[in-house]
Amino acid sequence: MNIPSELLEKIDEAIPHYPVSKRSASLPLLHLWQEHFGYVSDEGVAWIASKLELSPINVLELVTFYPMFRREPAGKRHIRVCRTLSCSMAGSYELREQIAKAAGIDLHGVGFHARNAGDDEHSNAVGKAAAVDTHNAGHGNPIATSADGKFSIEFVECLASCGSAPVAMVDDHFKENIKLDEAAALLGLQRSDATLPKLRPAHPREKRIVFKNIDREGWTNDIECYLHDGGYAELTKALGMPRVDIVNEVKASGLRGRGGAGFPCGVKWGFIKQDEKKPVYLICNADESEPGTFKDRYIIHQDPHQLIEGMIISCFAVGAKLGYIYIRGEFPEGAQILEKALAEARARNFLGKNILGSGFDCEIYVHRGAGAYICGEETGLIESLEGKRAYPRIKPPYFPAVLGLYQCPTIVNNVETLCDVKHIIKMGGAEYAKIGKPNNTGTRILCVSGDVEKPGYFEVEVGSVTMGELINDLCGGVKGGRKLKAVIPGGSSAKVLRAGEKYKLKDREIGLEDIPMDFDTLAACGSMAGSGGVIVMDETRDMVSTLNNINEFYAHESCGQCTPCREGALWMKKITDRVLAGGGTEKDPDMLKNVADNIAGKTICAFGEACAWPTQSFVLKFREEFTGKAQKAEPPPMPPEYTSDELIEHATIETILDRRTNSPLAPAATK
Amino acid sequence: MSTETAAPAVPMVNVQIDGVWLQFPKGTRVIEACAQAQKFIPRYCYHPKLSSPGNCRMCMVEMGMPKMTPDRKPVLGADGKPEIAWIPRPQISCAQDVAEGMGVRTGSPMVEEARKGVLEFLLINHPLDCPICDQAGECRLQEFSVEFGQGESRFLDEKVKKPKNVELGPRITLDAERCILCTRCIRFMQEVAKDDVLGIVERGSFNSIACHPDRILDNNYSLNTVDICPVGALTSNDFRFKMRVWFLKETKTIDVNCGTGANIVIGSRENTIYRITPRENNDVNGVWLPDSHRLNFKYVADERRLTKPTVKGQVVDWRTATAIAAEILKAHTAEQLWLVASGRQTNEELFLASRLIDALEIQKQHDILPRKGEADGLLIAADRNPNSTGAKLIGLCTTKPGSRLKKLVEGVRSGAIKTVITLGEDLTECGLTADDLKKLDAIIALDILPNQTTPHATVLFPASAWVEKRGSMINVKGRLQRLNRAVAAPGDAHDDWEILRDLIAAVSGANGLYMIEDVFKAMAADHKEFAGLSLSKIGDLGLPVVTEKAPEPEPAAAN
Repeated sequence: MNIPSELLEKIDEAIPHYPVSKRSASLPLLHLWQEHFGYVSDEGVAWIASKLELSPINVLELVTFYPMFRREPAGKRHIRVCRTLSCSMAGSYELREQIAKAAGIDLHGVGFHARNAGDDEHSNAVGKAAAVDTHNAGHGNPIATSADGKFSIEFVECLASCGSAPVAMVDDHFKENIKLDEAAALLGLQRSDATLPKLRPAHPREKRIVFKNIDREGWTNDIECYLHDGGYAELTKALGMPRVDIVNEVKASGLRGRGGAGFPCGVKWGFIKQDEKKPVYLICNADESEPGTFKDRYIIHQDPHQLIEGMIISCFAVGAKLGYIYIRGEFPEGAQILEKALAEARARNFLGKNILGSGFDCEIYVHRGAGAYICGEETGLIESLEGKRAYPRIKPPYFPAVLGLYQCPTIVNNVETLCDVKHIIKMGGAEYAKIGKPNNTGTRILCVSGDVEKPGYFEVEVGSVTMGELINDLCGGVKGGRKLKAVIPGGSSAKVLRAGEKYKLKDREIGLEDIPMDFDTLAACGSMAGSGGVIVMDETRDMVSTLNNINEFYAHESCGQCTPCREGALWMKKITDRVLAGGGTEKDPDMLKNVADNIAGKTICAFGEACAWPTQSFVLKFREEFTGKAQKAEPPPMPPEYTSDELIEHATIETILDRRTNSPLAPAATK
Repeated sequence: MSTETAAPAVPMVNVQIDGVWLQFPKGTRVIEACAQAQKFIPRYCYHPKLSSPGNCRMCMVEMGMPKMTPDRKPVLGADGKPEIAWIPRPQISCAQDVAEGMGVRTGSPMVEEARKGVLEFLLINHPLDCPICDQAGECRLQEFSVEFGQGESRFLDEKVKKPKNVELGPRITLDAERCILCTRCIRFMQEVAKDDVLGIVERGSFNSIACHPDRILDNNYSLNTVDICPVGALTSNDFRFKMRVWFLKETKTIDVNCGTGANIVIGSRENTIYRITPRENNDVNGVWLPDSHRLNFKYVADERRLTKPTVKGQVVDWRTATAIAAEILKAHTAEQLWLVASGRQTNEELFLASRLIDALEIQKQHDILPRKGEADGLLIAADRNPNSTGAKLIGLCTTKPGSRLKKLVEGVRSGAIKTVITLGEDLTECGLTADDLKKLDAIIALDILPNQTTPHATVLFPASAWVEKRGSMINVKGRLQRLNRAVAAPGDAHDDWEILRDLIAAVSGANGLYMIEDVFKAMAADHKEFAGLSLSKIGDLGLPVVTEKAPEPEPAAAN
C-alpha cells in the first residue's frame, strides 16, 4: 500500500510519543489515517498493525470499538448531532431531522434498531465473514449520507456541551445553541462561525479560581498571556519543595477528585511510594464525557497552561517523568490547543530535561480518545492508552497506583483536579482547605443544563449554594416560569432527585431546593455530586422518555466486557423503548428495577452503577409514570419466537386462546 | 486443602468457607480453594490454564476479611476464630488469592441472586437453540442454568442479532449469538498458542468474536478453542452435526502421532470414532492437543483396512498363515533373516518382537524406522514415533534408531538377507526399493492398511490400529502411559501382540502367554523399569519410568 509522505511523516512523529509501547500509538495512527483517507479500510487496519508490529485483529478491535472511526467514507461535510439528554431536551432529535432534510439525507432505517447485524445471508468465505459483517452491525452510530456524497449526518452521544444545547460538530468544529431554523446554515458553516460563544461574566455568587481566566476580557490561551499573569510561578515554587511536601500540601487541602467519585487526591498520590523503583506515570483524564458535564473543554480551550502547570507539578510530586493528557476524541481543537501549549512550555523548559535547572525531567503528550465514554473510567482509560479496547480492569489486582499504565504505578486525575493543584501550591493546603466546607473543600465547577433560563458553568465554593439557589439565582430559574420536577445533580449517572420530596439528613429534613451542593450532603440524599453536571427537568418532562434517553446512552456506551452491564444496559433500554411504544405492562417497573439491581455492584467497574442508578431512581421516584403507560397487567406468555414489534401490535389486537387450555396463545402474526 | 502430614512447601492460610475453617497454601485462587472444599463455583471465563479477566461474573461469592481492632489485630469471636466483616457486594472468586482470615460464602442468598441474575443476562440474547447445538449435553450454559438459574424468562423484547456460521478458520465455525464473550478462545490464542488472531469487534451487547481477514484462525492448535468454549459458539467443522455427545463412549488413551504421548479421550459410538479431545495431564500435555494429532484418526476406518490374513495374496485362515510364516522362518538360517520393528508399537508388542528375535537368534538384525520432524515448541515432539523410548529400552534398536537399516539394505542387495519380517512398517520407507523387495525369498508383514510393501508380502497379517488395542508406550520424557481400546478391529484382524505370540509359538513352541497382562508381567521380569507395574497400575496419567534425558529437545508441555 502506498502511503503519502505527509501522512507517513505525521505517523512517524506520533509513534515516539509512546516510548514504552508502540501499541499505544494505535489510536493516534487510526485518527491520522481517517483524517487523511476519510475512513479506515481493512487495508488501513492491516497497514497500521504491521507498522506497529501488531496482529491485524488488534487494530480491527479498536476500529469497531471506538465510534469515531468509520470503516466506510462519510460525506464531504460530516455533521455529528448530539443525541444525549440535555441536547435532546433542547430539541436535537428535531434538529437532526431538519439538518437531514436540508442536506437531502434519508434517515429511514438509520438508528439504534438498524444496528443489528441483520438477517442477510452471511458469507462463508474463510475468515472473511466475521470481519465483513461488522460493517453494518453493532454499536456504531450509523451514518446517513446524502446521495451526492456531500453531506453526512451522525447521531452521536454526549458532546460535553450540555450548557449550550443543542450542539453539533460540523466536521471538527463545535456549533452550540443551534436554533432549529439554523439547520440549513450548518451545512455551509464556515470555520470562523463555529468559535466558542462568549458567555456572561461570573455571577457574584461564584468564586472563580480554576475558571478565573475563562471568558476573561483580553485573555488568550498562549503562553505569553499566561506568563504575564504570573503563570508557571507555582511550578518554580513546587520544584523547590521536597516532593513529599507537595503531596502533604495536597493532602492538607482536602482536595477531592473532581471526576465523579470524589476520592481524596492527596490520599491517591500517597499510594505512590516516594522511592518507587518502577517508572511512575501521570495521566490527566480529559475524557470529559459524563452527560451533563461540560467544564473541561473551557479550561482546555481557554486556559491550557493552567492545566499543564498543574500537571507538571503533579508529575513532580509523584515522581512521574512521563505524563499523558487523555482527551476525548470529540475535542479535536482542544487537542491541537494542548499540543501547541505543550510545545510552548517545552520551548521554555517547563517541560523536557532538567526543568528550570531542577534536575527533574518530564515529558507530557496529548493522547486522543475516539468516542468511548468508558475511557473516563481510569483503568479503561489506561487500557485505551495502551492501544486496546477500553476494557476496565479488575480491582484487585489492577489498582492504577500499583499496576497501572504498562503495569507500573500510575495516577489518573481529572482536569479540574490537576488545575486545583496549582492553586493549592499557590495558597498552601491549609489555606485552600478554608474554602468550602470540611471534607468538601475548595471550589467546584457546577455545570447546569436542561430546563433553566440561563444554563452554564458556575465555579462556587463547595457547598456554598443550595440546589434552589443554583437553579433560581445563578441560572435565572426554571425555564418559562414552569415548575421544577426533578434534578439529576451530578452527571446523568447520578440518581435523580424529585422536587417536593423531603430528604432526611442526620439533623434535619430538607427539600430538594435546600440541598447544599457538596459531596457529603448529596450522598446523604441518596445521590451524588459526581462530576458536577446538574440536569434540571421541569414539570412538562416525561420521565419514561427521559430515562429512555439515558438508557440509550448507557446501552451505547457499555464496553460489553462483563455480562451484567453488557446485557443489562441494552435490556433496560429495550424495556423503556417498549413502554414508550405502547407495549408496557404493569410488571415493567419492578422488572426494570430488578434488572438494574442485578447490574449494580456486580460488574468490573462503576459503569454498572452508572447505568443502573438512573433506572433504579427513576422507577423509585416516578413509578406512576411507568405504570401509567402500561397497556396490560401481565406480559403475554412467552412464545418461542417473537419480537417486541409483534408484542406492541399485539397490545391492540385480540388475544387468541388455546382451545385446550383456554390460555392465550402466542401473538398472532400481524404482518 | 492441607493435610496434617505433608510439610507445606508454601505458607498456609486459614480461610473460612461456608462456616468451616480450612487451610490452603498461600497463592491458591479462591475459586480453587472452594473447589478443594467440595464447593464448586460455577464459572465461564475462568480457566486454570489462562489469565483471569473476571468478565463473566458467574463465579461471584460473598467474601469478607477479618474485622480489625484499631491496632490492626483481628477481632476474635466466641470460638476463638476471627470475626469476619463481610463485603456488602458479591466478589468474583477467580481473580483473588486466599488470604489469612478470609471468609467465603458460596451459597448465601446474595450469591444465589447474583448467579441467577448473571444467568438470566447470559440467556436473554442467547438463541436457545439447544436442539440443534453441538454443545448440548456438555454445555456449561445448560448445566449452570439447571443448577443455578431460574425456570422462566422475563425477556419480552427482540434479541440482538449477530453473525452466524462464520468460518473463523478452516476447522472452526463461530455462532456469535451463542457466544457469551468469556474470551477464553482469545486468551488461549494469545497466551498458549502465541498466535494473536482472535479478538472482539463491535461494542457492548453487539460484541462478537472475530478475526481479521488477513490472519485467520488456522493455527495447528485452533481446535483447543472449541474444547474450552463453554458454550456452543465455537464448533469443530469436523465434528459438528455428526453425533449427539451424550451417545459418545469415552475412552481414555494416549495420542500416538509423536513422542509426546498427549493424553486424549476418544469419543466413539458403535465402533465408529467421532472425535478425539485432549485429556488433562499436567505432566504431559496440560489440557491441550494439536489439531493435526486429534484429526488424524480417519484412516482407522478406511475401507481398505486389511481384514483377512493372506499368503501370496490368497486369503487363508489364521492358523495356516501363522504356520506358513513359521515354516518360512525355520527354512532360513539366522543370517538370512532381518526384522523391522516399529516405534509405533506398544511396549508389549516390542517385547514380543524381542522374544521372536531371540527365538530366531537374529540379535543384531533388527531396527525400527525413525521418524523425525520438527518440534513445534509446544506439544509436537521432533520424534514422530510415539514409542522410540520403549523400543530403545526393550532393545529393538540402538540408542540411534534406524542406524542399522543401512545393513538391511546392503544385505538385501547383496543377497545375504533372504527374508524380512516387518511389524507395521513399509519397507520402501526403510531404504529398500520395490525391486529389492522382489529379490527376497519372502516378506512376512503385519499391518493395518495396504502400502508399498504389502503387495510383495508372502504372508500378510491384518493387525489392529492404536485405537483398537491395549498396551503401553513410553514417551520422549520417559513416561510410561497406556493405550486403551476404543473400537474393535475390523473383520478378522487380530491384536498385534496375539499375532506375535502365535508366531513365536509356531517357531519355538508354547510360551504361556494368554493375556496381554501376561505379556506385561513377562516384560516386567526382563526389564527393571516395569518392575512392580501392570497395565492397571500405570493408571490414567501414566508414570515416569525412564529418568535419563531424552536424546532430543523435549517438547515444552503447554501448562
